[in-house]
Amino acid sequence: MLGMEQAWLQPAICAVAFVVIALPGRVLPRSGAWLGPLAILSAFVIFWFVLSDLLKNGPATFSFTWLEAGDVRIMWGMILDNLSVSMLGLVSFVALGVQVYSWAYMSGEPRFGWYFAVHSLFAASMMVLVLADNLLFMYIAWELVGLCSYLLIGFYYERRSAAEAAKKAFVTTRIGDVGMLIGILLLYKTVGTFDISGIIHAAQHVGEPGNPLSSVMLTVSMLLIFAGAVGKSAQFPLHVWLPDAMEGPTPVSALIHAATMVVAGVYLVARMFPAFEMAPTAMTVVAVIGLITALLMSFLAVVMTDIKRVLAYSTVSHLGFMMLALGSFGVGAAIFHLFTHAFAKAMLFLSAGSVSHGVHGKLDMREMGGLRSKMPVTFACMAIGALSLAGLFPLSGFFSKDAVLGTVLAGRGPVFFILTLVAAFFSAFYMARLVLVVFTGQPRSHEAEHAHESPVLMLIPLVALALLTIGATVLAFPIAGHANFGQFIYPAGEAEHFQLWLAGLSTVTAGAGLLMGWLIYGTHAISPSFFRDRFPAVQRVLEHKYYIDDFYQWVIDHIVLGVGGFVALFDRIVINDVGINGPGRSVVQTGNKLRLHVTGQLPNYAMVMVLGAIVIGVIWWLFAVRA
Amino acid sequence: METLGEYILLILTALPFVGALALILFPTNRPKAVAPLVLVITSITLVLSVYVFVAYDRVAGGYQFIERYEWLPQIGASLHLGIDGIAAAMMLLNGVVAFTGTLVSWKLVTRPKDFFILFLLLVSGVYGTFASLDLLFFFFFYELAVLPMYLLIGVWGSTTDFKTFFRPKEYGALKLTLMLVAGSVLVWIALLAMWQQGSDSIGRLTFNFFDLREVAFPPTFQKIFFPFLFVGFGVLAGLWPFHTWSPDGHVAAPTSVSMLHAGVLMKLGAFGILRVGMELLPEGARSWGPVMIGLGSVNVIYGAVSALAQKDLKYVVGYSSVSHMGYVIMGLGTLDQIGINGAVMQMFSHGIMTALFFCMVGVIYERAHLRDITVLEGLSKRMGFAAAFLTIAGLASLGLPGLSGFAAELVVFIGIFRTYPILGVLAVIGAALTAVYILRLLGKVFFGPVSERWAHLTDASKLDIAAASILVGMLVLWGLYPLYIYRIIDSGVLPIAKRLVGG
Repeated sequence: MLGMEQAWLQPAICAVAFVVIALPGRVLPRSGAWLGPLAILSAFVIFWFVLSDLLKNGPATFSFTWLEAGDVRIMWGMILDNLSVSMLGLVSFVALGVQVYSWAYMSGEPRFGWYFAVHSLFAASMMVLVLADNLLFMYIAWELVGLCSYLLIGFYYERRSAAEAAKKAFVTTRIGDVGMLIGILLLYKTVGTFDISGIIHAAQHVGEPGNPLSSVMLTVSMLLIFAGAVGKSAQFPLHVWLPDAMEGPTPVSALIHAATMVVAGVYLVARMFPAFEMAPTAMTVVAVIGLITALLMSFLAVVMTDIKRVLAYSTVSHLGFMMLALGSFGVGAAIFHLFTHAFAKAMLFLSAGSVSHGVHGKLDMREMGGLRSKMPVTFACMAIGALSLAGLFPLSGFFSKDAVLGTVLAGRGPVFFILTLVAAFFSAFYMARLVLVVFTGQPRSHEAEHAHESPVLMLIPLVALALLTIGATVLAFPIAGHANFGQFIYPAGEAEHFQLWLAGLSTVTAGAGLLMGWLIYGTHAISPSFFRDRFPAVQRVLEHKYYIDDFYQWVIDHIVLGVGGFVALFDRIVINDVGINGPGRSVVQTGNKLRLHVTGQLPNYAMVMVLGAIVIGVIWWLFAVRA
Repeated sequence: METLGEYILLILTALPFVGALALILFPTNRPKAVAPLVLVITSITLVLSVYVFVAYDRVAGGYQFIERYEWLPQIGASLHLGIDGIAAAMMLLNGVVAFTGTLVSWKLVTRPKDFFILFLLLVSGVYGTFASLDLLFFFFFYELAVLPMYLLIGVWGSTTDFKTFFRPKEYGALKLTLMLVAGSVLVWIALLAMWQQGSDSIGRLTFNFFDLREVAFPPTFQKIFFPFLFVGFGVLAGLWPFHTWSPDGHVAAPTSVSMLHAGVLMKLGAFGILRVGMELLPEGARSWGPVMIGLGSVNVIYGAVSALAQKDLKYVVGYSSVSHMGYVIMGLGTLDQIGINGAVMQMFSHGIMTALFFCMVGVIYERAHLRDITVLEGLSKRMGFAAAFLTIAGLASLGLPGLSGFAAELVVFIGIFRTYPILGVLAVIGAALTAVYILRLLGKVFFGPVSERWAHLTDASKLDIAAASILVGMLVLWGLYPLYIYRIIDSGVLPIAKRLVGG
């Protein structure tokens, strides 16, 4: 019978699908691409068996040896608890929906099979990441999902911008990963294990006599590991890659850059939470980074005109909410928000794909407008997603945002709380802007006038996700013997109590944001250029994304490549030409000089011999006779 | 197989040598028949190498497949062959690279006979070095492997001719040879000193490795002569600041020679440091360990940063080798069982990976007739296989899990973190820099729009694909399942690590 012990089958099936499509796939009908959805469907089916086994028998772990050198032994193992199995369900479900959607969306594209191959590899790696019971194993999966992200962002590699975006994504996340790997190795050096449970155990007894892990070491390593999360979950200051990642096909953005891979950082912190909890400084950093990200990126979403970029900055901002919740000691709230956001945002991206499919590939919102009647299903789905993300009762986004707000207030106090509310206000505002600009008013381009609804195969996943966005509301209520989903995920945490004033305040905030959006973009009661005209400097800073990207580019061009050029030149001129060629040349010159003395005349040689004998005699006298 | 096992190392070493002699007698007017003949030889050596690797008894450990023939007893020299776990892995590496190198040289037009004579001599020298348990023969084979390089590059190499930068192939060949010979002189001095000192203390003349291993060389002696070995062999391993022959040499060398050279020959240097330096002079290694790991970390960072600024594909790969060999030197410098394990694995992994790199760079150069990264663009549309293989090599190089580079670097990192955590941080940062220059290279050369200029290029030939597939297979196999090879390597590292601890 299938159960938790067979959970490894899920990534394994997808990995096999990758290998088959990538290697002999081209001889199969449709490049064997159908193996991708088939594999992820089987994985999704297995998930239900795993889940029922988990609910019946409780958490479990399994492992085997992967590498052994000297006294170092590295195991591959999986941990099956409420958190990982829930994530497993999320990953396999969204991946399934996106693959079905892609079947229609990507039809007619070149490299159709390759697309599904990488998707399968991604699904496999992501499931391994979720299941991993030790940090090293997780790091391996962590890098592999990064690779898939690289390959899919660069899917249209003939476009220079896509190739650049892929590179930017890989290198930026790699910077975080360096920190993460150093953190992992430091923990290994001190604690002697890669096992998450072992590290948590050591962290919980930090500072106690006999425990090699000191408080400082714990804080340092947690911060380093958090660096990995900052890169992967696109937190400030490593957020720059995610908006550019929109160069990839839209379903990829929905799956990887909204619902699954980018939440890996959140998952990592949640997984390691008991260890983070013991390092208060690290927790503060997590909260502050989350808040900065949530706030700053929500402003940027307001000024973007590319529909996918609005969604991208919104994603970054909401990932910030999740980090902030974690930093405020609310694992349950963070993961709850992760789920509701994943459903809503995956659907929003798929809707955006449906819109651009309808208007022949356009992505600029200024060239859309009036699509409501032409694409009613897409409109309905997108509206639900937008309202949920804005946090309107009774959609699931309302409850998760409420949980986050409650956590922040309880864990970090009023300043954090108010700033979070500001970000939530803008979240409602830009979602209203997006929907209104795209779907209402007059069509603003030829393509928008002749827009058409997308095929059924694309709409099915959309509708399914929309229903889930509504249905995920149940997660706020008692589930499987726990007070709510958050407590189910992290039983050690306290369940947030529903507070009426908080719910009211959050609803008012969301309502205000939506209302302002309506006034500006719906009724045009306020001109869209109202703020732009009054604060041109602010507008400029926002449009340049706070100049952060420009600054990084400058650093790379002038400092990194500058140093590279200098070292390369140093290598040529100092080490090679002076250090290596120099002695070479002087040997040649000495040879040339010596040549003049090789005269071939006996008296000359005789004189040298006599001189030599005298020198040797003197040396002998100096060292041997006098000593 | 019983009798085969007794002579297998001799066959492995002698077969390419005999093949080279046979080629001399081979009629010059049949150039087409040369490559198949060589392929037969390298296929046999490949099969035997795999056999040696698999048949090596890792539980028993120690030196196996031992055979001994007296050569010049008056000075204590004998042809004495045997391999431990480390050498077993190196045998496999040499077998794979020599075989794939033959495949990619198949279509060589210029004087194939002469080329393959030197090629086979080189292969024979490498086998001999890895298998020798007699320092005189060790040195002989070492030189046999190094010297053919001069002609191979000087005759069959290519000249770099950029607008701003001109390097004739003869320069690369001459520089490489002179620097390596200078290194050899240092090695030879140390070997003779050890011979003399060791023979004195035993009471008879001996070059024998087992005899010398039992000799307790005085600490001062060890401290004086270890640097001779470390620097002398280090030159071949690309040790900074004696690495400059490496980029220039690789750039000038023809494809298969680059493959063998970066893939296997540079490992001879590291192997020499380990086998002769660290195993015979552990006290010397102990006192010079910090210098080793320090220079190794310079290698890592310096090579990576230099690679960032290169425009020539081969220079990027050349400097990348300098950087990656830095991990080997760092791993050895930890003097720690884990670190050395990782270093040996890195030798193996880098050998395969670099062979794949040069193989594909050769494919591109053959077709585009230039290697300027700034000019090449969008090749993956035309050269799907070349792009895929070079990407895999690049991913292995930047330490992507699932490929053998990660399995090697990770263990090196663990070793360094256990001994010198600060340098460990540098080593990890070096791996991130690798990602920058590798992705820059891949992005520029393969991605982006296809320009008119490159629209006519054809993809890698079937032979190139076959060769590359074998190399990729190795990368994936040991990346996913490193346990097997590590157990073999570890059986060889363990006794060395024990000696280094002073047990």
